[in-house]
Parts: sequence; structure tokens; C-alpha cells
Amino acid sequence: MGILFTRMFSSLFGNKEARILVLGLDNAGKTTILYRLQMGEVVSTIPTIGFNVETVQYNNIKFQVWDLGGQTSIRPYWRCYFPNTQAIIYVVDSSDTDRLVIAKEEFHAILEEEELKGSVVLIFANKQDLPGALDDAAVTEALELHKIKNRQWAIFKTSAIKGEGLFEGLDWLSNTLKSGGG
Amino acid sequence: MSGHDSKYFSTTKKGEIPELKEELNSQYKDKRKDAVKKVIAAMTVGKDVSSLFTDVVNCMQTENLELKKLVYLYLINYAKSQPDLAILAVNTFVKDSQDPNPLIRALAVRTMGCIRVDKITEYLCDPLQRCLKDDDPYVRKTAAICVAKLFDINAELVEDRGFLESLKDLISDNNPMVVANAVAALAEIQENSTRPIFEITSHTLSKLLTALNECTEWGQVFILDALSRYKAADPREAENIVERVTPRLQHANCAVVLSAVKMILQQMELIASTDVVRNLCKKMAPPLVTLLSAEPEIQYVALRNINLIVQRRPTILAHEIKVFFCKYNDPIYVKMEKLEIMIKLASDRNIDQVLLEFKEYATEVDVDFVRKAVRAIGRCAIKLERAAERCISVLLELIKIKVNYVVQEAIIVIKDIFRRYPNTYESIIATLCESLDTLDEPEAKASMIWIIGEYAERIDNADELLESFLESFPEEPAQVQLQLLTATVKLFLKKPTEGPQQMIQVVLNNATVETDNPDLRDRAYIYWRLLSTDPEAAKDVVLAEKPVISDDSNQLDPSLLDELLANIATLSSVYHKPPDAFVTRVKTTASKTEDDDYPDGSEAGYSDTSAQPADGGASPPTTSSGVPYAAARQPAPAPTSTAPAASVPDLLGDLIGLDSSAIVPVDEPAAPGPTLPVVLPAATGQGLQISAQLTRRDGQIFYSMLLENNSQVALDGFMIQFNKNSFGLAAAGPLQVPPLQPGTSTRTLLPMVSFQNMSTGPTSSLLQVAVKNNQQPVWYFNDKISLHIFFAEDGRMERGNFLETWRSLPDSNEIANDFPGIVVNGVEATLDRLAASNMFFIAKRKHANQDVFYFSAKMPRGIPFLIELTTIVGTPGLKCAIKTPDPDMAPLFFEALGTLLNA
Repeated sequence: MGILFTRMFSSLFGNKEARILVLGLDNAGKTTILYRLQMGEVVSTIPTIGFNVETVQYNNIKFQVWDLGGQTSIRPYWRCYFPNTQAIIYVVDSSDTDRLVIAKEEFHAILEEEELKGSVVLIFANKQDLPGALDDAAVTEALELHKIKNRQWAIFKTSAIKGEGLFEGLDWLSNTLKSGGG
Repeated sequence: MSGHDSKYFSTTKKGEIPELKEELNSQYKDKRKDAVKKVIAAMTVGKDVSSLFTDVVNCMQTENLELKKLVYLYLINYAKSQPDLAILAVNTFVKDSQDPNPLIRALAVRTMGCIRVDKITEYLCDPLQRCLKDDDPYVRKTAAICVAKLFDINAELVEDRGFLESLKDLISDNNPMVVANAVAALAEIQENSTRPIFEITSHTLSKLLTALNECTEWGQVFILDALSRYKAADPREAENIVERVTPRLQHANCAVVLSAVKMILQQMELIASTDVVRNLCKKMAPPLVTLLSAEPEIQYVALRNINLIVQRRPTILAHEIKVFFCKYNDPIYVKMEKLEIMIKLASDRNIDQVLLEFKEYATEVDVDFVRKAVRAIGRCAIKLERAAERCISVLLELIKIKVNYVVQEAIIVIKDIFRRYPNTYESIIATLCESLDTLDEPEAKASMIWIIGEYAERIDNADELLESFLESFPEEPAQVQLQLLTATVKLFLKKPTEGPQQMIQVVLNNATVETDNPDLRDRAYIYWRLLSTDPEAAKDVVLAEKPVISDDSNQLDPSLLDELLANIATLSSVYHKPPDAFVTRVKTTASKTEDDDYPDGSEAGYSDTSAQPADGGASPPTTSSGVPYAAARQPAPAPTSTAPAASVPDLLGDLIGLDSSAIVPVDEPAAPGPTLPVVLPAATGQGLQISAQLTRRDGQIFYSMLLENNSQVALDGFMIQFNKNSFGLAAAGPLQVPPLQPGTSTRTLLPMVSFQNMSTGPTSSLLQVAVKNNQQPVWYFNDKISLHIFFAEDGRMERGNFLETWRSLPDSNEIANDFPGIVVNGVEATLDRLAASNMFFIAKRKHANQDVFYFSAKMPRGIPFLIELTTIVGTPGLKCAIKTPDPDMAPLFFEALGTLLNA
């Protein structure tokens, strides 16, 4: 039975990798999350001028995860990566309340993109380990997530440093993608 | 899509590019790799695949070395055409430069150096820094070269990041290849810089000598070249160096041999002991001879270099003349060079042998070679007095063969021999006259006519001979006409009989009336007047004793020879031209070369000097050496390039170059610099006039001054003092002004410090200055501090940051001012002008019919200025509102802005 199930899975997804973009403002923790997911450990990072790409295997799904630099100068080039994207992980620094407005604007700009119309959205309210970090409800409010229409989304409280919440998010993502949400 | 016609737009047929794009984004690695290969193939045959930039770059993060190399190749080719997108590759470079595989680290750092995109260079500094200290020598040696490449792109960055020091450290590296590459990089940087960057010390010297024995052949060339520029402290050190290098003379690589020869020749200049020198000369001969057994092209290069070497040290090859004898199958260019060296090596000892050779060559078939051989005989005659007679007899033998061009060439050289040994060999004139009718070349004709004129008294039928030439006077070339004119005059003065008198009438008439050649006409007039006023004086002039000549053809000027010897084994020594005669390069100086950083356009005079191409001494120096800062930035006019080389065609340029470097004295106002406002008029200062202004340059504040001495006495001992002021401006050092002679002026840039010892009380723009000298009372004058000189280069704010700061400041900190008279005509020009004063454009919006511009600026100690300008472009009237934590500054700011926008 189990084998049959796996076969069904592989027939569904084959060797196909789900293409996922990790976006967010600079210093939100995107690269740390990527390597936490891939290697399971915290690596020291420097600002990503450009991109990182790694393959993450989780729940029998291969994710091809693209971590794009969040600097203002690089944000315009995010769009080069939009085609064929199944999911977006949007990372927010929950403790950087000053820039939540900008985070919101960038987020909604992404949602407007034609090429991303079909992709699901996972929001990580990151840096929960820092004092003064807003919780998921507050981040939902700040990002005006309730305005999202016609799209599956979820928000998770995470701490990339402690490794909390990341895999819960990935669980949701893999389930959603399997159920054809992508 | 309701319309049926929409199908025409969504054709199923795809072009090559979209197909490639799809494949590049394929999920299968093999397919991606194939696609990249296709892209590279298309690139190689010249198809433009730059539109696939991001797609290719996305394939960059791969384990596959082959794929990575292909992507790197693509990047090198297209980064320049996609400078903005190139930034996407930065992170991968950074990662690759930390890869566990040293090949990948080296590959990354090498590729980085080849991507000449300004925007990303600074991101590449950190990886480069790491790679310079890498554990693997292969990475270090690659990184060393990368520094030189980076220097070419952005010299300042290299200096700021301390890469030069890292490079210098690499000279002490334990791996010889790393040392060699560090030396190569430093030498390359030195060539592009005017500052002394790479100087070998006794410490580095021993490192280099050690590395020399162990590194590859091309590494040896780099090190030898560097060593040849080293000035040994004393003869003993020079001997030691030479001793360590002599084994290189046996190297199989010609480049190594020549570089070693160059190095030894340079060090030999210092060695006094004749024994040592003789010994070295002996050692250098065999390797040079060996070079002549290589293929003809290398022989040619070797010969051109040997030509230089024998001019300085003829002894080296004095006994080797036989290897320069031409072989029948030598290419003509080798033969010609060999002839030249044979002449240089000819001596009383070997002249018989050499003459036999020359005589042989004079009967060959190649006309040019034969002519050169005949000339060579003549030059040997002139060079070697004791052999002159033998040379002449060979020439006479050759004339007897009656080959037309041999005869003509012989007559030309015999004329020179007559000049060299007057009254010795005139007996052969009769033989020469036999061939008179066969002469058809201007130079030979002119030579023969000169001989007839010069020895008219010994040639019985001189008048007849000349007359035969005169018949065709109007058709002759200018050279022959001039000689005919002079010869006829000589004939007339020597034999003032009737025949010559008639001839001279005809010639003078022809030369003055019939010709339109000014040289000929003027010379004829001079003779005419001389003859008609005082024939005796004419005799003194025309028949004057002539100085004895010597053979100086193909001899190089000593200073040029020095420079060429220092460039042995380079193109320069093959061309026999100094490098700057055929390579132009813009030397980067330590300072910034962009004008943008200067407070306003009025200072452009100074900044230009730093960007001046050092293409020769012809450009006059533009700053006086009394200006410490300006002088330091100016490329030193290369002394060698002003050498009055006979072979340099631009003689006038050389003369100017010599002139200006010789004339410009220290206290001369050399540059027509920027006009500065007068702060102390001559009327007040007893003839001393001072014009001055504060300026900002490279993040540093200067007091730019022009001092003019209109008084009757020389002024010296200038000192300056600034009163306490609101910004704590004070001189950073003493005023450096040379003694000022009456009627002269000087410019200086006085570096300033700020925010030290500030005065209390309300902020004021007043700057009180006192200047004194040894001859006059102390002069006090007032200047104004323009606020913008404090605006820092890093005052650009991000938009978000700007908005935030604007909101965070209370409204009470907002101050507005109207400038009714100011018109903004060109938006771009205005933005540029403000940016030049470090006021950075943030954003622009429309408000009704008005344009609103936002700028940011930053004062020291982090005080931001947020600026809002409202105006209608093209109409007078401008409103300025600023927000700053320090509103006291606002009036000063408006003052400065007014000056800037009015300028």
C-alpha cells in the first residue's frame, strides 16, 4: 500500500522540482532560512548581492529554492525570476517595525505580478526570537494580508536562528502544492 | 481574447532565443548544460545572445565545473552590455571564492577581474582580499594578477582597500610563482601610475633573487624586468645581483635571455671594476650569438636589440663579427640589420674581412641590399681612418663594374669621404667623372655636382661638365638645382673667366625668375647680392673651410639610447622608439579624476591636470611646484620623453616640451587656474593681492588661494591664521608659498580642518583671515564660508530613509525661503550641479504646474539636510524648504544655495 502511495506521488510530481522564490526586504533572514532548510544549521551570511539557489528535499517533494537579494538595488531584478514559480516565501523581519510599510508595499507589488498569479504565498514572520518582534497576527495586520484574494496563503511565526516554525511552513507548502494549489 | 485575429500574435513558432531561454530554465541539469553550450556557440559565432543574460547567470550556481566555466565565459563577454544585471552574479562569485576547490576559487577571482563593470567592482573586493591570503598558491597567484586588472578599472579602490600592500606582501610569498605574479602585477600598476608604487628594497631584492631560480620562464622574465629597474646601492650589491642572474643567460627561452642581458647591462653601469665588466661582457656574448641561430623573426628581434647593445658596449661582440656575416638565404630584413651591426663592429683589426664581405654583397641581386652594402663601405671609410684607403679602393673597383646603381651609390659615399678627409683622395675624381653621363638619381647627381664645384680648380673642364648639367636646369629636382647653383657660384669664384660668368648669369636668372621654389630663389638672391656687393666677401662665405664630418648616421642620442636599453626585450627596443612614442596611455594618479566631486565648475582647472594624459613632455606643465597638493597630483612630465631625439618627427613638440620644463620657475603662475574672488585688493595690501575661496575636493576642504605680488619688493615668509569661527575651520598645516618676486603670482591649496575649536554664539558664515609676510604688516580680511563645502560625499539617502527622517523631524525644524530671481532652465544641469556639491537628488513630483524636487545632504557629525525645491522650470522664482535637526544653519544654507544656483 505504501509503495503504491509513493508511486502515485512520484507520478504526480515525478522528479519535478517545485520552484520557490524566497523574497523579502534586505536583512529579513532569507539566506539564513534557505540554509537552515537545506543543511539544518545556521550559517553566517553576508548580504546577498544576487541570488542563492539550493535544492531542498522535504516531504518527498524537491524544492528548488531561489533566495534573492533584498537590497533596494536588486529588488527590480526579482521579476527575472518570476516565470514558472509555484510558490513564494515572503520573509518579514518582525522586529523591524519601521520598515513594515515598505515590506507591505513590496509584498503587494509582487502579488500584482501577472506571472505570479498562480503561485501560493507563504509568509514567514521571522526573527521571533528578538525582543519586540510582532506576532503573526500583528504582521498579518501590518502586511494587510486580508486583502489577498484568489490565492492560497498562510503565515507562520518563525525564528531561523532557532529553527522554529520553518518546517511547519514547509509542511503547509508541500500539502498545498500536492493538493494542486500550485 | 475574443477577436479571431489574435491567433496571429500567438504564433507557435519560436525563435532561437526563446527556445534557448526555455532550455536554460529546464529542470534537467543536462538540458541546461546543453543549452549553455548552445548559447556559448552562438556567442562565439557572433550572434547576440545578451538577452539571455539572467537565464544564463541562473545556471551559474552549479557543482559542474564545466558548466560553471561556460557561464563565466558568457559573463566576461556580456557583463559589459548588461551592467545592471551583472550584479546578480556577485553573490555567486562571493560563494565561489570560498569554494573548497582551489580551482573554482581561482576561476572566480580570475573571472571577476575580467568583468569590467564599475557597479560590481566594489562587491568583489572582499573576495579578492580573501583570495590574496588564500592557502593555495594557485589562488594567490591568480588574485595577484586580478589586483592589476582592478587597478585598471578603479585605481582608487585598489589603494583604499590596501590591495597594493597585500601585493607587496606577496613578494615575500614562499611560492615563486606567486612572487612572480605579484611582481608582474606591481610592475603593471606602476606603469599606469605616476606615483612610486613598486620599489624594490634590499629585503625584497633577496626574495626576488631566490624566486628567480624557481619560477617558470615567464615568471623569470617578470622578475628580471623588475630587477633591471632596481638601482643598486653600491657596486658591490650590483655585482652580487649580476652574479645571481648570470645563470639565466643560459636559458632556452629567448625572452629570459634578453631580459637577463638587459638587467645585467643596467647593473653594469654601476660596476666600476673593469675586470668584472670585461668578464661580464665575455659572458654575455655566447647567449647573444645563440639567439642568432633561431628562426629569422627572432633573429631580427635579437639583431635590433644587439644594435642597441653594441652602441653602448661594443666590446661584448667585438670578436664575434663573423656571426653577423650575411648568409645567402637570410631574409632581406635580417641582412639589413646584420649590415648595420657589421658597420658598428668594424675595426682596424677586422676591416679587411669586413670589406671582403661588403664587396661580395655589392654584387648581389637585391638592389636595396647592394646599395646599403656600398654605403656601408663608405661609412667604414669615414669611421676608420686607417682603413679609408682600402675602402676607397674597393669602391673604385665597384665603380669599374659599371653597374649603374652601384656607381651612383659610390659617388654619394665618396662625396662624404671627401668631406671627412679633405685633400687626400681627390686623385680619384677623374675616375668619377667618367661615369658622369650615367647618373640619373638626384642624390647621386647632386653629390657629383658638389664634387665638381668643390674641386673646380682641379678639374680642368669643370665648366664644361657643369654646363652639361645646366642645360636641363629647369627640369632638375630641387636638390640638384640647389647644388648646381652653389657649384656654379663656386666655379665662378674660383675661375672668374668669361664662361663661368655667363653660366652664373643664366643660373641666377633661372633660379630667381623661372622658379617658384622659395629655397632656391632665396639662395640665388643671397649669392647675387654677395657677388654684386663684395666678391671677396662672397669668396669668404662660399669657399669657407668646412668642418670635418664623422659618421653619425644610425647613431642614437645617448639619452634615447639609455631609455631604449632600459626597454630591451620589448617592442620599444625593436622599433628603436621610446614606448610613449607608440603607446598612449592615461596615467591614473592617486587622486580622483572625476570632476563631479568638486564644489563647483570653477575649479575645473585643477582637476583637469590630474586627468592629463602623460603622452609626452609636449604638454606644458600646468601647475607651479609651489602648490603642494596640485603638484602631487600632476603626472610628472617624463624626462626621457623630452629628449631631443633626432628620430622623433615631432621636433617642435619636443622643443616646446624642453622649453616649458626649463623655463617654468617655481614662483611662476603656470596655470590659468580658476578665477577666485578677490579678498584682499592690491590697493589695500600695498601691492599684495589675494584671491581666495574655500573648496571641497575628495572629501577634504581646501582654501584655494592666489597670491599676486604687484609691489616693488620680493615677498617671502608667508603665514596664515584663521580666527575662531562657527565651523571651527582652521589651517591643517602651514601655508606653503615660495618667495614671491615682484610681478609674479602663485597659487596654493591649503588643506583645512573643521569643527575644531569652534566659536560660540550664533552661527555665522564669517571667516576672518590674517596673512602676514616678512616684508609687510599683517593683512586682515573677511571671507565667507559657503555651507556646501561641508556636505559629505556620502550624503545620499535612500528614499524610504528620507521620508522617515522628514516625518520624524518636527515642523518647527522646517524653514522655507524664496528666491524670486532664480530660474531653473535645465533640470539635468541643475541636478548635476547640486550633485557636484554633494546635494543628492532623491525624488521628483509634480504639484499643479510646479515641479518639486527633493534632495539630501549631510553635514559632518551626521547632521542631515532634507531639501525641497519648488519651481516652474524656465520661469523665475524658486521656493526652497529645508528640514534639518540644526535649523540655525538654514540661513547659511540658503546663502550657499543661492550662490550655487546663480553661478
